[in-house]
Amino acid sequence: MDRAREARMGWALVAPALLWLTAFFVLPFAIMVGLSLSRFVGREVVPALSLDNYIRFFTEPSLFRGLVVSLEITAMVTVVSVVLAYPLAWIIAFQVPRNWQRLVLVLTILPFWTSYVVRSYAWLLVLGQGGVVNGALMGLGVIDAPLSLSATRFATVTGFVHFFVMLLTLTIYANLVQLSPNYARAAADLGAGRFATFRHVILPLTLPGVMTGAFLTFVLCMGDYITPQILGGGNELTLPQLIMMQLGRRGDFPMASAMAIILMAVVTLAYLACARFLRLERV
Amino acid sequence: MRVLGWFYLALAFGFIFLPVAVLVLFSFQDGRLPVPPFNGPSLRWYESVLGDRRLMEGLRHSLIVASLSAALALLLGFMAAQALARHRLPGTLLMRAALIAPLTVSYLIIALGLLSLFNRAGIGLSLWTAGVGHVVINLPLCFAILYASMGEQQRSAETAARDLGAGEVRVLALITAPMLAPSMLAAYFLAFTFSWDEFIIAYLLTRFDVTLPVEIWSLLRSGLTPRANAIGSVVFLVSVGVLVALQLLVFRKVRP
Amino acid sequence: MPRFPSSLRLTALASTALVALGAAPAAADSLNALVWCDNTDPDLIRPFEEEHGVRVNLREYEGTAAGLAILDQSRPGDWDVMVIDAVDVHRVAERGLLAPLPADELPLGDFFPDLVMEDLNAIDGEFVAVTQKYGYNTVSFNRANVDAEAMEDLSSLFSGDHDGRIAIYDYYLPVLGMLALNAGIDTADLDLEALETLREPLMDLRARARQVSEVVAAQTALAVGEVDIVFGGGEWLTAVLAEENPDLDWTIPEQGAVLWAQSIAVLADSANPDLALEFVKYISSPEGQARLATSSCYWGMPANAAAGEILTDDQRAVLRWDEQEDFLTRVQRYPVPDADLDAAMQDLWTDMLQN
Repeated sequence: MDRAREARMGWALVAPALLWLTAFFVLPFAIMVGLSLSRFVGREVVPALSLDNYIRFFTEPSLFRGLVVSLEITAMVTVVSVVLAYPLAWIIAFQVPRNWQRLVLVLTILPFWTSYVVRSYAWLLVLGQGGVVNGALMGLGVIDAPLSLSATRFATVTGFVHFFVMLLTLTIYANLVQLSPNYARAAADLGAGRFATFRHVILPLTLPGVMTGAFLTFVLCMGDYITPQILGGGNELTLPQLIMMQLGRRGDFPMASAMAIILMAVVTLAYLACARFLRLERV
Repeated sequence: MRVLGWFYLALAFGFIFLPVAVLVLFSFQDGRLPVPPFNGPSLRWYESVLGDRRLMEGLRHSLIVASLSAALALLLGFMAAQALARHRLPGTLLMRAALIAPLTVSYLIIALGLLSLFNRAGIGLSLWTAGVGHVVINLPLCFAILYASMGEQQRSAETAARDLGAGEVRVLALITAPMLAPSMLAAYFLAFTFSWDEFIIAYLLTRFDVTLPVEIWSLLRSGLTPRANAIGSVVFLVSVGVLVALQLLVFRKVRP
Repeated sequence: MPRFPSSLRLTALASTALVALGAAPAAADSLNALVWCDNTDPDLIRPFEEEHGVRVNLREYEGTAAGLAILDQSRPGDWDVMVIDAVDVHRVAERGLLAPLPADELPLGDFFPDLVMEDLNAIDGEFVAVTQKYGYNTVSFNRANVDAEAMEDLSSLFSGDHDGRIAIYDYYLPVLGMLALNAGIDTADLDLEALETLREPLMDLRARARQVSEVVAAQTALAVGEVDIVFGGGEWLTAVLAEENPDLDWTIPEQGAVLWAQSIAVLADSANPDLALEFVKYISSPEGQARLATSSCYWGMPANAAAGEILTDDQRAVLRWDEQEDFLTRVQRYPVPDADLDAAMQDLWTDMLQN
């Protein structure tokens, strides 16, 4: 096959995907940027080239706080999920007998297949004052009076962590099993202790997997509307909740677009910050 | 140390299964409130859910949208992966980045952008528009999985087939695709799952006919009843059933 | 080898088909309705579908702004009927979106006189909408944990006795309306200036509340005993729960409460005006009204008093049929903000949520 023909073939293969993303990803984004520069006056969108919406976002405390709340929750969720998932993946990879690993992994992610919307609602039932957690703790005599667990940031974070522990366990496990046991053996031969082996050999080798998982957690968590809406109890609003409020209650498309673009900018910054660790094409 | 490990595993499983257990238990609640005390088993909420036209239609719509959008995402992703892995094209690096970019964007933003586009273009919202959105989120996923799994082995097989006179389409259909079957299956399965469970795109981009997650959201907003538990349990059981069937029938055979 | 792989052509075809199918016009034998969740109950809709051999397509929305946004984004003829806050009928009608209704074909004579609401539903004496259901945004509470007597006075909520045991219903109009009543301001007089005086009481209430919640979360909190009081609640919130837990009750305090009323209208550019009118007639009929009153999403009083003959004694008891006369004298309508006031109210509400 000659070169020109091969190139033509290649272009023909890649073109549909590129066209699709241009039409339904790049173009919509461009329209959104245009909208975010428009004004919303008396329930009407007025085309303009103005930064008003962005200025309003950063100067109005109740809006800007949405970004802070989102970042705080996401940071908490990402760290807690990684810290909980790493040992779990480790135990599955190195302690569970080989024949059972597959089964244990499938079990770990089984709750994935309840509907996402329903899972948040289930946590609402679990964490309530008359719910199962309080009932069990009081039954065991750990606490005397029911704890106020639902309708708090704790509830939102718990709902998120539940989802992302499943996700991260999977990605970290995939990373761990690829490690050749020779690395650890070699390190041990060289006199490294268990902790030193982990710290200097295994951790660096699994870091890209962990970072990829953590980044996905960050993206999905920053942009999620359902979990804080169901579990947060309206005690603070995340950025996606504010965006949906602009849309659902005010019909203010320009402001919603501006906030969406700010959300995207934050995620992009996070991406650039950890880009050198990421291998997104290998998720 | 090992005891500690088993203990941690048990604890983690407790945490992971707690909401599911509570959800399923109170779907059998004999009463209107899905909270303790448990009044004893009843199937009335299952009856109510399975007899609900809108929920069952939502289920059907979800199946259609998920299977079609995952198929299109797989096709487009496969072709793109093949192009970038096998054909030397200028700007490959850039194209690869562009094809993966949507992975780093929140679904909410994709939904909002498409909503603006469809509004401007005067295209009415429907299951199709939601499907378009699902292809946008799943195409990069399929591309990434397939691109990562394209190895030297296939290249030699493809070259051999070409040398024997096979046309490009036949090479793709008869050599490349079958050799990539495990990854293709995994990508399709993943894309299907993502579409099946996706809420915000489906919520913002549909109108009358909606998918199951959107229908469940309406159910959740309209009042506290064990119906939500029942439909959640049904979805769970169906999904697990499919998962087990796949495990037994398909993945076992193609395990690498 | 074909110059272009057939898959490319297939994709092109598929995308064209996607667009074409997405833009397919509504079929003649269906009715497109933009409604609130109570109007989607199959027990309400199915009898109409069967009688006329048509299909009713339903889309839920909340809040007039969202409804208007949906209409703005639609093409003419997309919608046949819509349900809307009675106080907002003029807002929609001013845009020329609503078709006149033949009042003589509607059973307005059977309606509770207060609920005909000609000033809201008609323009220059010509009806463009008709009331379908009403109720109150007031105080729901758990009799087991709070003194029912105390709930007769809104100020007891600010006494400190119930701190941390209150949920605020997450909708700014009725809650701000109730706070206005508590401050001695008529909801009709609520303006930008008066609104500013409500900031402090709102923040005060917020500080005493455990959560600000939508229907299900508020119901859950009440049902599991996390809160004792739902500010902004009413029979629509507790009627369903009362069956399980008779302690869950509601009242209209001496300061009064906010009356909500929803109307149904036919869109001016409806592709199916005759069928749309039939639907409005059905919803206004005693049978339709009884089904709507006891809809699965939430209960509420029917506007048509003739529905009382179809409802059971138990249902009328839950709705407090016999007390309506007294209730109606003690309540005020939803505030009707213009665009500026609406924005100010929502800003205040966002401030409250983010505090």
